[in-house]
Amino acid sequence: MAANDRNSRDGAQRGASGKKIRFADRWHGYKSHHRDTIRISLRKLLSEPLQTLMTVAVIAIALAMPSALYLTVENVEQLGNNFESSAQITVFVKKGAKPQAIDSLRAELDGMSGIDSLSYISAKQALLEFKALSGFGSALRDLEDNPLPAVFLVQPAVSEPIDMGQIKRLMTKIASFAIVDDVQIDMAWLQRLHSLTEMGQKVVLALGAALGLGVLLVIGNTIRLSIQSRRDEIIVIKLVGGTNAYVRRPFLYTGMMLGVFGALAAAIMIYSSLLWMSSSVANLAELYQSQYRLQGLGFIGFFGLIGLGGAMGLGGAWIAVSKHLRDIEPK
Amino acid sequence: MIRFDNLSKRYPGGFEALKNVNFEMDAGEMAFLTGHSGAGKSTLLKMLMLMERPTSGNLLINGKNLNRLSNSQIPMYRRQVGVVFQNHQLLLDRTVFDNVALPLQVSGYPASEIGRRVRAALDGVGLLDKEQQKPVALSGGEQQRVGIARAVVHKPRILLADEPTGNLDPELSSEIMALFRRFQNVGVTVLIATHDINLINRMQLRIMHLEDGELTDDGAGYGR
Repeated sequence: MAANDRNSRDGAQRGASGKKIRFADRWHGYKSHHRDTIRISLRKLLSEPLQTLMTVAVIAIALAMPSALYLTVENVEQLGNNFESSAQITVFVKKGAKPQAIDSLRAELDGMSGIDSLSYISAKQALLEFKALSGFGSALRDLEDNPLPAVFLVQPAVSEPIDMGQIKRLMTKIASFAIVDDVQIDMAWLQRLHSLTEMGQKVVLALGAALGLGVLLVIGNTIRLSIQSRRDEIIVIKLVGGTNAYVRRPFLYTGMMLGVFGALAAAIMIYSSLLWMSSSVANLAELYQSQYRLQGLGFIGFFGLIGLGGAMGLGGAWIAVSKHLRDIEPK
Repeated sequence: MIRFDNLSKRYPGGFEALKNVNFEMDAGEMAFLTGHSGAGKSTLLKMLMLMERPTSGNLLINGKNLNRLSNSQIPMYRRQVGVVFQNHQLLLDRTVFDNVALPLQVSGYPASEIGRRVRAALDGVGLLDKEQQKPVALSGGEQQRVGIARAVVHKPRILLADEPTGNLDPELSSEIMALFRRFQNVGVTVLIATHDINLINRMQLRIMHLEDGELTDDGAGYGR
């Protein structure tokens, strides 16, 4: 008590309440308060494991769905890019064309600029390939004539990004040869794929916005319940001179933790489904002689997701806190 | 130190809890605030805690008009005041130490300083050996003393007490009053709201009497 008396007298003489604290001490106290707040918030979350787990799961699903869709769109787009660089022009030679005429066409094409490579499939070869690959071999045996034309497969020299005009000009030039029946390029589906991925990106945004709102509400509601259950504590803290910021802090940390945990769980969900799919994708790619592999979140994507989760948790907690803390005043 | 200047408080609905209350208390003065329940004792204390704002009139603390304090300045003001509640308002899920440490924590004191001051305050109320217990493990009198330790741990200039001896036997009551005397002796202004007649009669102190919101006797000059 002696120490207390002396200190009290000091306080009275200064005309202040002993609240004058050195800045360094105050900063130190502030830091250790933050550390304590984080520790206590974490312990509170862990003391109700089921409740916390359920909230985290809801947040994780809400974050994982748009993220997974985003990855799907990204992967499809990449797939499209792979095909784009291998855009091939098929030149159908008129049926019954003389071999000399075909040879001279090949020479013409060889000399043409803008062509990367050229290969020739004779009518006979085409039929053999078709028989082997289509499974209609026995039906074709009944045909008297070979219905298939000879084709040249022209690989245009393309640069990224692809210049459709240049390819179109090349196609018109080839089509102008008398011996050429038709020139085709299978680009239409690529364009469709493009517009599909564009639409997919918009769906990702819309779904992301809707589920993001859901995350805000879930966290907001969790924090609201937590505020209500700690009502007495808030009142006592306010009575002994705790600022609104002091009262707010543990709830903001709790919200942020829920968001970060949810994002971590979402990342785990995404990685495990990628792992689950990757072997079948690799098999499929092998069938197409492709090196294509599924793309994951990557470093930036992972930390972006965690950051987003944390920010949303903080935001949701902030909304709840600013809405409900004002109502709790000592009466 | 404390000056009520023609202060009135009317609640929405028309009930007038305080009517033109005027009184002054000097630094280091100790007084009782009496009156039957509903006379306005609690409202008067709430004014001093800035839990309520006056409808009219002024309340000056150390020359500063509390009406001029914005809501964001309230926490800073409350750090100069210590309050002992009738129902002690302890946090049941925290230890005695943590309860007493709360006023220091909210003011940002470093941990070492908090430990030193909390132990000094607990020593003062004779509960140093109970610092790691939860409040529920303590008796009513001990809980009340923890409440007192919390009210004085940050060395307030003003100590308010609302029925601090409400549920306590006479012996404990005098112990607690002796504690308040000690704080008064070091310059703290102490105001105790009570209707414990025995207690009032035993102590030679200034008595302010409230009746239906009016201060019928400000007891100034008595028991100084």
